[in-house]
Amino acid sequence: MHRSKALAALALTTALTTGGAAGAAEIQLMRFFGDCQNDYGSVNDASEANGECGIITALVNEFNATNQGGHTVTVQTAEWGAYYDLLTATFQTGNIPDVAVMHSSVMPDFVSRDLLTPLGPLFQEAGIDTADFVPAALQNASANDEVYALPFDLHALLFHINVDLMEQAGFVNEDGTVRLPTSPEEFIEMGKQFEEATGQNFIAVESQSAEGMMVRFFNSLVWQQGSTTLADDGTSANLNGPEALAAATFIKQIYDEGLADPGLDYPGAEQAFLNGQAGIIINGTWVVDSYNAQAEGGSVPLQNYVATNVPALMGEEAVWADSHMWVIPRDESRAPEEQEAAVAFLTFLNDNNFEWSRTGHLSVRQSVIDSPEFAALPHRANISNTSQIARAVPTTQNQRSIYNAIMSDFNAMWLTGAEPQAALDSAQSQVERILRRANRGG
Amino acid sequence: MTAARSGWALWGDRLLLAVTVLVAILWLLPVIWVVAMSLKPNAVLQQSTWGFIPMPFTLENYANLLQLATVPRWLVNSLIVAVGMTLLVLVVSSLAGYAFARLQFPFKRAIFVLMIAGLMIPEQAVFLPLHQMFASWGIHNTHAALMMPRVAVPIGVFLMMQFFRAVPRELEEAAELDHASRFTIFWRIMLPLSVPALTTLGLFTFIHAWNDFLWPLVSATDADMYTVTVGLASIQGNFAFTEGLGSVMASAVFASLPIVLLFLIFQRFIVAGVAMSAGK
Repeated sequence: MHRSKALAALALTTALTTGGAAGAAEIQLMRFFGDCQNDYGSVNDASEANGECGIITALVNEFNATNQGGHTVTVQTAEWGAYYDLLTATFQTGNIPDVAVMHSSVMPDFVSRDLLTPLGPLFQEAGIDTADFVPAALQNASANDEVYALPFDLHALLFHINVDLMEQAGFVNEDGTVRLPTSPEEFIEMGKQFEEATGQNFIAVESQSAEGMMVRFFNSLVWQQGSTTLADDGTSANLNGPEALAAATFIKQIYDEGLADPGLDYPGAEQAFLNGQAGIIINGTWVVDSYNAQAEGGSVPLQNYVATNVPALMGEEAVWADSHMWVIPRDESRAPEEQEAAVAFLTFLNDNNFEWSRTGHLSVRQSVIDSPEFAALPHRANISNTSQIARAVPTTQNQRSIYNAIMSDFNAMWLTGAEPQAALDSAQSQVERILRRANRGG
Repeated sequence: MTAARSGWALWGDRLLLAVTVLVAILWLLPVIWVVAMSLKPNAVLQQSTWGFIPMPFTLENYANLLQLATVPRWLVNSLIVAVGMTLLVLVVSSLAGYAFARLQFPFKRAIFVLMIAGLMIPEQAVFLPLHQMFASWGIHNTHAALMMPRVAVPIGVFLMMQFFRAVPRELEEAAELDHASRFTIFWRIMLPLSVPALTTLGLFTFIHAWNDFLWPLVSATDADMYTVTVGLASIQGNFAFTEGLGSVMASAVFASLPIVLLFLIFQRFIVAGVAMSAGK
């Protein structure tokens, strides 16, 4: 009798164990951010990693080492520029990833083709509280009243400042804070004073069309005036109205007055800023920690660095932001346990959102933003409300094409001297053509 | 008078040589710059990319590359695809080129025009149907899928046809008198004569296959099937061109080394091939 009880217990244990193993799944993760297996391949604690690549690598390692279901995440990396072509191709080639990273600006292209799994009910089951997401992030992750992605960050445009140069120009207040302009006129005036006092450019910004930093700045300025460049329903553009003209005229003036070098590409703008050749660089949240580390390291002329919001130059506070998000691409052949494992991984990423915010990106979770550990990160106090003022472009298909069209017309303003109205009219016409195609399903 | 003319000619040659060397140096400068950057630390390059001398010097960018477990696999994939594609292109182009040069068959002119028209169709125009066709066959993520779209090369057929046309007919007639079959003539006489043309076509095909990016990107979507170009790109971080410039340049040098070696070994044929395709 005793022996049979022992056998029954053994059988039950075996059944439970094998049952658990049967639920274990391999999750294919596709992402950009690079491959840093050499540096972080054996780091299982995300708090010990740095940088986008390092932190996501360590997060995956940590999940693989600690998750209760015995799931394994296998990572496939792709180059950022080619990433979406590769991801799209997988729907034909057959190896659709279980989880993939996606920019919010690209998500409408995939939602409109029904290529993403709706996540609302799955999040509810998994206990992911969407109410904790800041409004801009939730908007980015949603389409047609459904949540299609786990927002992971908001990456907004910021002003990164060389405080020593600003002090030299007399733009540092008694309390040590930097005085920033509050209107386009003041911006230009301060820029001239700055250049006279320091002999350096007031602004460094990528101006050679790879990133389109000035398009992001332009969008921010239009939003600040209470207007928008694309209608909320994504059917029409408003690129040549009075607000857009005011913003474009101001941007052209920055170059015309010699306050920024129009010949700088992205690395050139960074080099100018790090080498103390510019007071402010207009760049995103993603460089906060990198600039901070270099300034603290003492290896670059930039010594005293702060990051702040893009100031309200044309009215209310508003700034361009995009989001990195995680999606579950639709795959009819995916087994239920694989989908469950994918959701478990998303839950883990959401639980560790703070670690990702150490990259410099803004957390999408209000609870993380309000936490003392987030406030303790360098410069985050200055940008704690950025998530609130962040604005996303409407969820329209072909946003990359729209962005590129505006970018090429904008560059003409400072590279060939095109007039703002002419550049805007051209951009309007190009964007309307793209929207027409998108709205008729082309 | 003759001595004076030869003196001018000598100086003319020297001037031409000097200009050629100068232009060659100008062409080489970006390459030297790339190599120099690949030997500098990334942090230094984020501040300045200036200078052709790699100081401070590091081999870390190359070491990181070689430590990646996936790199050998990508190299093997590239090698299989490049060698396989080269062999197939040589077979198809030489057979088709010989047929157009020497054989008479119905609709020869129309077929030739159709073949040459292929030169005018950009690759992008057939990209989607090609991709969907391969998907319906279920052959994406295979070496065959990476090779097949590039096997029919109109310029290769044209090059071989031009070469075969230049071979004296008497050689074939002599073989025919000895009762050699058409294939024997092709195999035993024409092919051995066309080694320079085949070498040139083979080298250009190999280089094209090795450097190809777009088709491998969307066909070989499984990381194990990445070719070296797609694989090396996949390891770059989002802002690699500022934060990891040295690594990017090391990848570029690493990926182009086989091609450079190939060029150094076979440059005589490449130059002859360019002259042949331009002059005929």
